[in-house]
Amino acid sequence: MKRESFSPLQAQQIAEAFAKHQVDYMFIGKGGAILLGYPGTTQDVDVFPRKDRENGRRIVAALADLGYVIDTTLEADIIRGKDFVQIKNGPFDVDLVFAPDGIESYDEAKTRVDMTSGFPVANIRDIIESKRAAKRPRDAVELPLLQAFRETYEEQNQS
Amino acid sequence: MDDTLKDFREQCERNLRRSVTERMRYGFNYVYKPVLDDAEWRSFDSLAEYREWCRANLPTYLGYGELTELQRKVLDEA
Repeated sequence: MKRESFSPLQAQQIAEAFAKHQVDYMFIGKGGAILLGYPGTTQDVDVFPRKDRENGRRIVAALADLGYVIDTTLEADIIRGKDFVQIKNGPFDVDLVFAPDGIESYDEAKTRVDMTSGFPVANIRDIIESKRAAKRPRDAVELPLLQAFRETYEEQNQS
Repeated sequence: MDDTLKDFREQCERNLRRSVTERMRYGFNYVYKPVLDDAEWRSFDSLAEYREWCRANLPTYLGYGELTELQRKVLDEA
């Protein structure tokens, strides 16, 4: 279905709702890179949450606060931490990626999380590795640009 | 430095000077994607299962299909 309206400040809305419900997560994917300063575009927010049942219950509560319709099957899938949950029945699209390609563990990724944007974002190198591992044609276009961004980003953050 | 990416690197520098709010305003926009956007929600036991669903159901031009040899080379080398 086509959306009637769209908010570009979706990451902020997710962050506020997730903070209220103490969800353990980080942004990942192209949306995460955009928060770090990557000059690309996307329509959805990719979230990499810790996979545990309590965290899942918190996600359900946070999404309900934002206006998503969480039926019992969807609720069960989120609490169970099904590897990939894509939700489009709220104010914007959100992908819950409990097991992103190319990232071994949540705990390890958490040690590298980037807070420079004010939001918890996966390290740009983890974002790149997850895209490389996904092996999608769309990522073949994006990956050289993400690498060029990473070089600029790391150069600026070191100085 | 790869000259083909010079303009893009300058674009990165400009975007890094923008506030996070500006990055969100310019970076998040909506484009309807047929099939992909035509469900309330969907879930998969693995990303491999999701990719299989994408290959079977989404229009090729959305970029979720099989890699060509050239695309595979680009991904490996990037």
